[in-house]
Amino acid sequence: MAVTKNEHGQTNSINQVRYGCAVGALYSVVSIPGAVPIGHCGPGCMDKQYTSLAFYNGFQGSGYSGGSVSPSVNAGEKEVVFGGEKRLDELIKSTLKIIEGDLFVVLNGCIGELVGDDVGAVVSKYQKQGVPIVYAETGGFKGNNFVGHEIITTAIIDQYVDKFTLNKDHREKGLINVWSELPYQNTFWRGDLSELKRILEGAGFRVNILFGGKSAGVEEWKTIPHAQFNLVVSPWLGLKTAKHLEQKYNQPYLHIPVLPIGAQQTAAFIRQVVEYAGIDPATAESFIEQEEKEYYYYLEHFNDFYAEYWWGLPATYAVVGDSTYNLALNKFLVNQLGLIPRRQIITDNTPEKYREAIAQEYQKLAHDVATTVDFVEDGYIVGKLLRETDFGHKPPIIFGTTWERDTAKALKGNIVEVGFPASYEVVLNKSYIGYRGALQLIEKIFTVAISASA
Amino acid sequence: MGKINLRLTEVQNRERRLGTIIAWNGTASDLHTQSGYQQRGSGCKSNKDGCRLCEAKGPFTQGSVCSEQMVECQAGNVRDAVLIQHSPIGCGAGQVPYNSIYRNGLAMRGHKVENIRIINTNLQETDMVFGALGKLKQSIDDAWERYSPKAIFIGTSCPTGIIGEDIESVARKKQEELGIPVIPLFCEGFRSKHWSTGFDATQHGILRQIVKKSTKKQEDLVNVISLWGSDIFTPMFKELNLRVNYVVDMASVSDLEQLSEAAATVGFCYTLSSYMAAALEQEFGVPEVKAPMPYGFAGTDAWLRELGKVTHREELVEQYIAKEHARVKPKIAELKKKLQGLKGYVATGSAYAHGLIQVLRELDIQVDGSLVFHHDPVYDSGDAREDSLGHLIEHYGEVPSFNVSNRQQYQFYGLLQEVKPDFILIRHNGLAPLASKLGIPAAPLGDEHIAIGYEGIVNLGEAILDILAHKKFHDDLKKHAKLPYKQWWLEQKDPYILAKHPELIDA
Repeated sequence: MAVTKNEHGQTNSINQVRYGCAVGALYSVVSIPGAVPIGHCGPGCMDKQYTSLAFYNGFQGSGYSGGSVSPSVNAGEKEVVFGGEKRLDELIKSTLKIIEGDLFVVLNGCIGELVGDDVGAVVSKYQKQGVPIVYAETGGFKGNNFVGHEIITTAIIDQYVDKFTLNKDHREKGLINVWSELPYQNTFWRGDLSELKRILEGAGFRVNILFGGKSAGVEEWKTIPHAQFNLVVSPWLGLKTAKHLEQKYNQPYLHIPVLPIGAQQTAAFIRQVVEYAGIDPATAESFIEQEEKEYYYYLEHFNDFYAEYWWGLPATYAVVGDSTYNLALNKFLVNQLGLIPRRQIITDNTPEKYREAIAQEYQKLAHDVATTVDFVEDGYIVGKLLRETDFGHKPPIIFGTTWERDTAKALKGNIVEVGFPASYEVVLNKSYIGYRGALQLIEKIFTVAISASA
Repeated sequence: MGKINLRLTEVQNRERRLGTIIAWNGTASDLHTQSGYQQRGSGCKSNKDGCRLCEAKGPFTQGSVCSEQMVECQAGNVRDAVLIQHSPIGCGAGQVPYNSIYRNGLAMRGHKVENIRIINTNLQETDMVFGALGKLKQSIDDAWERYSPKAIFIGTSCPTGIIGEDIESVARKKQEELGIPVIPLFCEGFRSKHWSTGFDATQHGILRQIVKKSTKKQEDLVNVISLWGSDIFTPMFKELNLRVNYVVDMASVSDLEQLSEAAATVGFCYTLSSYMAAALEQEFGVPEVKAPMPYGFAGTDAWLRELGKVTHREELVEQYIAKEHARVKPKIAELKKKLQGLKGYVATGSAYAHGLIQVLRELDIQVDGSLVFHHDPVYDSGDAREDSLGHLIEHYGEVPSFNVSNRQQYQFYGLLQEVKPDFILIRHNGLAPLASKLGIPAAPLGDEHIAIGYEGIVNLGEAILDILAHKKFHDDLKKHAKLPYKQWWLEQKDPYILAKHPELIDA
């Protein structure tokens, strides 16, 4: 069968991968405190996802249950020929004996799916015994880790939360479930989710952040049905889960496509959530006032540099990355810093049905600034588009990934690694969103720019 | 030993060829005796259908590594070639780590730094049903259009192996059409229990389709089969009036073509070099230097003397040995004072571990234990001079806790409890984070050349002093980190208990 090229010349080929596969969502499991992934896959699958997503991407680390801790069937010829159900069964049994966990998630990979292993049958035996264990069909050919993430969250909700939550009809006003960045894939997810939680709590909410160090882990997941509503803060990721919860528990959701960066966006974000929730806005308003006071205290001092540094600062930029970060950065760079957008490329293989709505957002970045966005996954084409872009008379800033280092060099521009893979960044709790993250982002951008100047 | 068969497109995997195992527990000398290196090397019957070593394999396993990853870090790192991964996108995630290693490797060897050239065919669900040779052809055309490579490698994957893609015929047609080698490498993750088969798969493809069949010889050229490590061989070989041909990582296709013209082939680790070195001798008449590996004084002396013999440079070698001994001995004496009383542990690939233990013992560091990721009872040449484990035991003594464990972290915990080292040497990720949480610092030997030769003894000593300083960090962490293992497991004295008593998981 012949392969057709799209308007950018993209075929099936992908150079410079910018996501993992559905099994890569094992890092969504790892990011839930107390949860342990079990791989029903080949010997290298878990390691590949680990070294790419959790190591050479900000060196985020394997934590409690990732890296070499994660149990795996390590399927061999025998499992391919005779099936791997028996092997999985003994692996689960021994995992329960050896590993301490609150929840176990079995991920079926390419091999198990292709040879037709009935993973559900193996796992349900343990579920019937009351073991907190779920399974997900995450064969790598099903799609990327964005797809895998929602397969897993749905599996946990359906097979665990639903079973173990008491009073599923009970709702608490002011309690929110947050669905936003993809853990590990978004290099700064840990810091970002913690800032998101801080902002929402500052506005008067109680927050199920669900992933990362600020989450209460599996216990917190059990309170998902109790939330007043689901909050999706991303252009598309999480919508599927929110819709599923709406159907399942009659729980409404609020979709805000732009992840807030900086004072303007963050205040607007808070007000939108407060209004939707119908809670008293007094707490939120006083929080915004307090945060803005601090935020602008710093910007006032930054202003000397921004207004007077005469060795030249970049004026134009490009962003290459996941839709969530891409859109958020654009809103901030245009509205807060007054930079000029020249090329925007979304690389997360956004489902076709969301692309138009996302593109619309770029049409209204500010009241007087609009731009276009391209959806591309092949790094070779990304590089080509960037090199063809007219960035004006000064070197641009490329907000991208390690893959863009060569292109940035060729354009004599600056590179700020903001997404997977960020192999030349070390990331602990750094955040680029909200009030505090925006300040760190400004520091990063201009440190990179001026340190390259002499 | 069977002969290497380059007529077959698929490499024969290690467990069949060499009898490789991935789980074993005992002493170094027990393993050596049971491996029967000499017998196997002389073609004893027991090796016909694989190894007779008993494997301590149990029901619990943690994720390890696959052959395709080794293809990425070898074939993917050939400078003017392109590797195509015929697979779903998940295998492509490997492009990220191997790009980082490639970039830093290029910088270290003084080449232009640039991104790795790997293209993934991005197979999807329908491809699993209908096949995807069209996509493979397209990606070959894309590789050609984008990079004008001198060779194209095609790596297979678990899914393409299962659905039975006829990659060979596509490769043959494209090779004719493009006029460059288009080389299928069979490296499905499930095909071999140990990932070192991926080294062999790459080398097999290079030997079949790139290496020149010319009879021309370059009498001062020596093939060095290595990874991305720093260039320690050029200065060393200069003193012997020899030149280095580094393969496979960072090599150009023409470096690979001239493999057949060299005067000799050496390796720093028989795990890596076994297949290619033996095949070069068998098929192209390039002698493999069959000697202990160049670690510690005894190993390096013997290795250099054999190299001198093969390349007819005996005199230069003797001068070099004398000069180097005199140069490094005072440095080593100083280091020994600083390292006095320390206990070390080695957790790396198989032959490499044998070499590192030699260097540690040369520094008077106590080594009571080691974990190797696999064990080859014999290497491809079958020559007893390559018996690296035997050489270790003969010259440097017994290693009482000698274990084969394919990067199984849960076993590593018990092994560390048993040996209680002050530091560990590692390669490959996954074990050091556990050691850290127990307050034990690790020296990650990403640059595989660091411990080679006489200077290697000094290098390793200094690296150990550097990482011992990290102990403060790890001791602090130890007080706060929670291990993921149940108390029941942490209390087990024998890390292989489940292999010996699998019925325990029913209790």
